[in-house]
Amino acid sequence: MTYLEYKIRAVPKGFSKLFFLNWPIILLLCAAGAIGIIMLTSVAGNSWHPWASAQLKRFFVGFVLMISIAMTPIWFWKSMSVLAYITSLGLLVLVEFFGSTGMGAQRWLDLGFINLQPSEMAKITLVMVLAFYYDWLPDERTSKPLWIIAPLALIFLPFFLVLQQPDLGTSLLIVIGGGVMMFLAGVHWGYFGAALSLSVAGIFAVFYSRGKDWQLLNDYQYRRIDTFLDPSSDPLGAGYHITQSKIALGSGGWTGRGFGQGTQSRLNFLPEKHTDFIFTTLAEEFGFIGGISLLIVYALIVVFAIIAAIRNKDRFSSLLIYGVTFTFFLYFAVNMAMVMGLAPVVGVPLPLVSYGGSSLLVLMVAFGLLQSAHVHKPRGVI
Amino acid sequence: MTDTMNRIAIRPLSRILPARLRGEDPIRIEKENLKIRHDQMRDVERVRSNIRLLLIIVMFACIYIAIGARLAMLASSQPAEPITQSSNSSVFTQRGDIVDRKGRILATNLETYALYVETRHLVDPLNTANKLAILFDDLNADDLYSQFTGTRKFLWIKKKLSPEQMQAVHDIGDPGLRFGPRETRLYPNGALASHILGGASFGKEGVDSAEIVGVAGVEKTFDSQLQDPTYSKNPLKLTIDLSIQAAVEHVLEGGMRLLNAKGAAAILMEVDTGRIISLASLPDFDPNHRPKLPSRGSAAESPLFNKAIQGVYELGSTFKIFTVAQALELGLVDPKTKINTKGPIRIGGHKINDYRSNGPELPVWEVITESSNLGTARIAKMIGPEKQREFLSSLGFSKPTTIEMIEANGGKPLLPKRWNELETMTISYGHGLSATPLHLATGYATLANGGRLVNPTLLQEVKPVLGPRVISKEVAENSLAMLRGVVTGGTASLADVDGYFVGGKTGTADKPSSQGGYDKEKNITNFASIFPINEPKYVLVVTLDEAQDTSGPEPKRTAGWTAVPVSAEIIARVAPLLGLRPKFDNHSTIGITLSNWQE
Repeated sequence: MTYLEYKIRAVPKGFSKLFFLNWPIILLLCAAGAIGIIMLTSVAGNSWHPWASAQLKRFFVGFVLMISIAMTPIWFWKSMSVLAYITSLGLLVLVEFFGSTGMGAQRWLDLGFINLQPSEMAKITLVMVLAFYYDWLPDERTSKPLWIIAPLALIFLPFFLVLQQPDLGTSLLIVIGGGVMMFLAGVHWGYFGAALSLSVAGIFAVFYSRGKDWQLLNDYQYRRIDTFLDPSSDPLGAGYHITQSKIALGSGGWTGRGFGQGTQSRLNFLPEKHTDFIFTTLAEEFGFIGGISLLIVYALIVVFAIIAAIRNKDRFSSLLIYGVTFTFFLYFAVNMAMVMGLAPVVGVPLPLVSYGGSSLLVLMVAFGLLQSAHVHKPRGVI
Repeated sequence: MTDTMNRIAIRPLSRILPARLRGEDPIRIEKENLKIRHDQMRDVERVRSNIRLLLIIVMFACIYIAIGARLAMLASSQPAEPITQSSNSSVFTQRGDIVDRKGRILATNLETYALYVETRHLVDPLNTANKLAILFDDLNADDLYSQFTGTRKFLWIKKKLSPEQMQAVHDIGDPGLRFGPRETRLYPNGALASHILGGASFGKEGVDSAEIVGVAGVEKTFDSQLQDPTYSKNPLKLTIDLSIQAAVEHVLEGGMRLLNAKGAAAILMEVDTGRIISLASLPDFDPNHRPKLPSRGSAAESPLFNKAIQGVYELGSTFKIFTVAQALELGLVDPKTKINTKGPIRIGGHKINDYRSNGPELPVWEVITESSNLGTARIAKMIGPEKQREFLSSLGFSKPTTIEMIEANGGKPLLPKRWNELETMTISYGHGLSATPLHLATGYATLANGGRLVNPTLLQEVKPVLGPRVISKEVAENSLAMLRGVVTGGTASLADVDGYFVGGKTGTADKPSSQGGYDKEKNITNFASIFPINEPKYVLVVTLDEAQDTSGPEPKRTAGWTAVPVSAEIIARVAPLLGLRPKFDNHSTIGITLSNWQE
């Protein structure tokens, strides 16, 4: 069903759109954002500076951005999909040449008012362009090999560009996110079986190439894998993050040490305590209850979003919602798994909680698109 | 309008034809039909995508549950004390202790701290630099201040701090001053057994720990074993007896001072096992503050030089018993065979003579007790160079000793380049072949245990293995009887410690002078003794470097006046510690030794 098939008159107009927003999701986003600001206050030693105040401003800007995107009709955003995708590819190329370097990788573009991370942007524009593609593609062609090439190209272009930075974590998330979208769009199972076996072979090749002339990954990436497999092998070096964060999680226990009492993060044992590893502070100060609460907030966001996607009869909108939702899910799942030593340390922030402009703004934009798709969903068939 | 209508396929005819008959619009029916089919297709598609969605959701739910479960697991885990906060004892590489044969500590570890500075955390560099300079004399406030404010982020100040120093540094109160825990090797007995233990120092060093590596002695020899955590729980048990070692070192040092010697060495060994009970070399050092190797002068003069194991000396007349034992073994002589002792023997431009004339001939056993060079040389001539070399190498005189010390390789015997008749004759009384005191002790232990070669060892836990038989039991017994004769009626009469039946042989060798040739005024004196001779258990070798007894009108430099009384004193002190009971044959006589002199 396309928009031509229902009455646009059924779509709310003007400020009445506000009533048709998916308010549960918005409230849950605010809750996660509030948890983030509380935690940033704590890691700064119970101070608004330097992180919490800046984060609050960004959250506010992001919130306004989300609402304004939500008020704009989804068909406008749909028509912008290809342009947005091409822009983000251009930015990724730009960051390759003009990006500022930080933490051993070129990831940021300094736009003066904000340090933009095009790889974050690429995740969302990829979701948009894939939704656009499968909305346009007739169903019966979905699994034709010829029509598989285009989405694969769409996924792997940003993948390679992000891998160049180098940022293995984000580039893998891009591939997984794109793959999930193709799967939900109805591409034949066989392709995924093949991709799965290929990636198993690829992992084997990565390990096999280590120390050879054609080594596929950087040494630091291999060390991270080693550390993941056995963090205690190097407790003061590469395994430091994980060892310390496990200690923090363990010392939090069930109810935690209380606000501002986290020793690990307060006493500077953990670098990146305000960014990728902020969950450890939460778990140490508020224990299992604090950690599981955040997990529940995230889960509810995902559940409400999936319901919204199922109810949306428009193919582009529903695919877009799925894409945004699973990208979001991957973010927090990978981050938490990493902090708890279930996954290797890759630079993935905890969505809405970690300190950082790009990831927060991009997420708010993504949820703005989700809201727009929800507000402008087809209502009432002819 | 009609054109397009015509082009549309009109299906299903079964519905359309009757409808046309009824006069209804077939196009509308066609549209309705199309819509129904579209709806059906969409429903199928929806169901299919719902299955996929379900699969994804299940997969993600699993991940979600795994994360939640992990969180619960970590929350319920006993929080491990943060490593970087504690004293870091778990990061230490606990080096194994070294103990003596009775388990008394010879070397252990002490926790100390190193001091370093992280300049960016310094609050008041000037004040800190000044206060540090007051605490430590070797630091300069100006240098420190320029380092603190320079480009360096990190610098070491002190590698070892005593607890008092640490407290004082702590009291300066600057957060830039940091302490790194260190494990330090401690030798609680100071210089005692220093040459055996050697010493240790820091190897690879990090902020929070440092590796300890052995630099000499057993510390170096067993370095990997001591560092290996699987071994280091059990201490390394040496054959040394701490109290006997202390007695030996004490007496040896007293003797060395009394006799104005430059250096001294002593080895006490079990004859049946080769276990070293005591091994001393003087001068010695404190392994807690191991001195640096001297940059000038001879390494052999350094206190780090282990004379008992590394020093190769001509061992003089102590060798005579080997010559006689071999001649007995070969059946060339028996103890009573008369040997020509008329001198001198002139050979190859050399002149061999006795210390003092022994008349025209002596029986073999008196050649030993009177220490006749001429007699021994003539017996050696009967044996010949080939057989002599074979015999001495079967006693271990051709290779470094196999004791478990890294220094043993330095004690390689010096053999003559050509080994002809002249060399055979001089070697027979201990000249022209140099070896370590430990070689000598090993050779005497072989005689003492009835003729089996022994391997000197420092490891108490290893079962000792006796080497192959070198001489027959009977020859060994005859040799011991002659050695007893040396003490009862020969050159070593001062060694007759009452009740312990000491037997042994003296040896005095002139030291090679730096100009070449020999220096008559300087000699190495040895006394190799076995006690109790009737039931041999221990070998004691005492070596003195440039000793002279100046108590009489003439300085006495021979072993009989130097190494022998020192040995006697050691035996008198050590025998009770070894658990030997003195035995008195007939009426007891009061032996006059240094220990009861005061009375």
